[in-house]
Amino acid sequence: MLTVLYALLYYVAAIIFVVGVAKRVWEYWKTPQPAVIPTTPAPVTRTGVVWRMFKEVAFFESLWKSNKWIWIFAMMFHLSLWLIIIRHLRYFLDPVPTLIVLAQPFGKYAGFFFVLGALGLLARRMFVPRIRYISNPSDYLMLLLFLGIGLSGLGMTFVSKTDIVGVKAFFLGLMTFNWQPLPTDLPVLVHLGLVALFLIIFPFSKLVHAPGVFFSPTRNMVDNPREKFRPVPWLPPVDEVQYDPPHGS
Amino acid sequence: MSELDKNPEAATDDVPPEAQEDPLYFAWEPKEGASAHIQSFKAAPEFQEPLGYPGELVDNWKEVALAKMEELRGKFRSFRLFLDICVKCGACTDKCHYYMGTSDPKNMPVGRQDLLRSVYRRYFTLPGKWFPQLVGARELTEDVLEEWYTYYFQCSECRRCSVYCPYGIDTAEITMAAREILDSVGIGMKYTNEIIGKVFKVGNNLGLPKPALQSTLEDLEDEIEEDTGVRVRLPLDEPADILLVTPSADFFAEPHIDGLIGYAKVFHATGAKWTLSSYASEAANFAMFIGSYENMRRIALRIRKAAIDLGVKRIIIGECGHAWRAAYQFLNTLAGPFDFLDPNYPVPQHICEYTWEAIQKGLLKFDKSQNDHLKVTFHDSCNVARASRMGDYPGGQFEIPRNIIKAVCNHFYEMPEDTIKEATLCCGGGGGLLTDDLMELRKKGGSPRMKALKQATEEYGVNKMAAICAICKTQFSKIMPMFGYGMDDIMSLHQLVSNAIILPGSEQEKELMEAEAENAGENAGEGEA
Amino acid sequence: MSAGYYEVNGKQVPHDEEGYITNLSDWSKELAEVIAKQENIDMTDEHWEVVNFLREYYDEYQIAPAIRVLVKAMKKKFGPEKGNNKYLYELFPYGPAKQACKIAGLPKPTGCV
Repeated sequence: MLTVLYALLYYVAAIIFVVGVAKRVWEYWKTPQPAVIPTTPAPVTRTGVVWRMFKEVAFFESLWKSNKWIWIFAMMFHLSLWLIIIRHLRYFLDPVPTLIVLAQPFGKYAGFFFVLGALGLLARRMFVPRIRYISNPSDYLMLLLFLGIGLSGLGMTFVSKTDIVGVKAFFLGLMTFNWQPLPTDLPVLVHLGLVALFLIIFPFSKLVHAPGVFFSPTRNMVDNPREKFRPVPWLPPVDEVQYDPPHGS
Repeated sequence: MSELDKNPEAATDDVPPEAQEDPLYFAWEPKEGASAHIQSFKAAPEFQEPLGYPGELVDNWKEVALAKMEELRGKFRSFRLFLDICVKCGACTDKCHYYMGTSDPKNMPVGRQDLLRSVYRRYFTLPGKWFPQLVGARELTEDVLEEWYTYYFQCSECRRCSVYCPYGIDTAEITMAAREILDSVGIGMKYTNEIIGKVFKVGNNLGLPKPALQSTLEDLEDEIEEDTGVRVRLPLDEPADILLVTPSADFFAEPHIDGLIGYAKVFHATGAKWTLSSYASEAANFAMFIGSYENMRRIALRIRKAAIDLGVKRIIIGECGHAWRAAYQFLNTLAGPFDFLDPNYPVPQHICEYTWEAIQKGLLKFDKSQNDHLKVTFHDSCNVARASRMGDYPGGQFEIPRNIIKAVCNHFYEMPEDTIKEATLCCGGGGGLLTDDLMELRKKGGSPRMKALKQATEEYGVNKMAAICAICKTQFSKIMPMFGYGMDDIMSLHQLVSNAIILPGSEQEKELMEAEAENAGENAGEGEA
Repeated sequence: MSAGYYEVNGKQVPHDEEGYITNLSDWSKELAEVIAKQENIDMTDEHWEVVNFLREYYDEYQIAPAIRVLVKAMKKKFGPEKGNNKYLYELFPYGPAKQACKIAGLPKPTGCV
């Protein structure tokens, strides 16, 4: 029964996640950005922009300039999230590629840093008056969701060991439409339930910052408005316009 | 009319210039509503209609506003994306000079964005439709419009927040959209909209007609001749190679006019054939402030027409911050292509690019000692620093003006590192806020810059600040006296050039040659002895 | 301040939010005294000289003169002691252009000034 429920949940969550994110990306892709508005100084070549964007998404360059505290917690949170995701690929791939095997020990302990990062971010939201002012209930809930995912995951790994082989069989089964029973101990159910929730809310929430940042015109545009002519799509071409008459005529 | 309390200076005497960033994030409680009472005059119908906006609040304002929001999110990726992807991380919260000066949380960049984002979420996102409380979504009401009017006219669109946002969210984009929405329902700002109407009618922000402009320019020619003995022309509407478009404040205000004299001397010394235009007698483009592409284009097209009519090969823009952004980022897009101009030069060019090139080529001669009584610092204007470039490499907009100052002054010093270049602090009067009815805000918003200047004064004895923006110059000449400086302690960059330049055939050149000859004689004498 | 009226000899003269009169033809010397009083200014000969010069200039050019032009005119009339920027600001503390224009019944100079 629980197996069916979770199987369906994961199919729905996966569809919402993929379609939802694709729709968002498509919207950003097709919405025009008529004026060239990079925050300057900005790169004057495409390669330069790629480098700028790399520094932004890999090292949070702007955040570093802004605030070292947030930077530390954000870095801790996102870096460990990456390691965790890479480590988790082992539950979807058979055989497990060597690279992911190598990442295993890092990914395992990254869970602690992930929780620590989320706690830091939560503390900032609760105790810094300016950030408390801008926080909505959803901002707290999102962090609690991550904490729940992280703690339940750590619980499965370090407290009460789960039948992880069974979990892997369940996911491989989902992908091949050959359903296998899901081990039903509580940490697994909580962990997987929260992750499904995460996938579902992703496209409708601020979590779209992850794909969104690549479309940010102040970061992804080449600084070349003088060199390259880009007409505004909804304005008539310049040879069809009427000029204002001179003063006094 | 009984109240005489509108003396802005008296109203703001209690603001200490102690505001600064708070990178450690501990203290600094926001004071809600601290600047809620500061609101600029709204535009009367006569100032709204020439711009194509309703004269007063339309009956179906809610539908119109939401339809406008829908339109804008389809037209501008910046607007749509920035409303979606803010994670409320707080990186921007201490970066806005208006927040630093007022502590009003709605002046934190994210606080300002949220005024509109909350409405956007209510009507355009699923969570906002289903669980408004959860995501801080709210209905659009007349009170919300009023709040928008108050706080979106407390933003100078300086883009400082966009430097520090991990996603590059630029509050200026939101502010421009909010102002466009407000205008479309009939709520406009008097200062910006009256001025835009004047440009459409007369050709410049001041409303300076051609005969007045002609007479002013002749006066300046006389003045230069008295000072130097050289007749330097300031041609108007004459066929030429270079069209100079400069803010009209350069024809009117102090210290702007000294900058104009500086440009004229540089052109004279390089032997350029240049002209001003009475039709395009304004580089400023206030339509950018209110986010209106249609009106921005109408102003930009005047420059195109003037360039065609006068048969010029190049367009050069005078010292003005937002005008340089309007020219650099928007002129080509809105009024281009400029394929009829000389392809060897970028369109448009900044006057500093021109002057620096002339200096590098050795076309200009200076007597730097003329500026020896000045200890100068340079104020990076926000739009130049964060929305444009000079030269052909990133950061040229910082180096070229400094290079020029160092070429004409012996004493140049920087203000603190976190207040210059891309981190520069707005003067407090940009973005269409340079109006008397916002003086309290202007003083508070200018206080972080004033604090930085004071540090430079204490450390190096700096007594003059140079700028390349008409708004900065006016704003500083107004607020510097409130912080213990003189109103003439703000200077045009080209005023420094003007002081030091030695025009061919001038009194200064003769004096210099005599002095050199004397020196040579003495040296020769010493040699003999 | 909000838009309203100046009272001059029992007549009402409308002005805008900032105190600039709406119809330039409403101006009179009496009105100038009334506005000056609002601005905490006692009109002296020098004040009148500025106001008169502004009005003459406006008559010819439909705009107030640049500060510099005004300074020159004052210099010509009263000598260098009074023909300078600083002195003009002593006369009209809130800026010779804006405050003097208000008293002279001229529109406010707009733009980055």
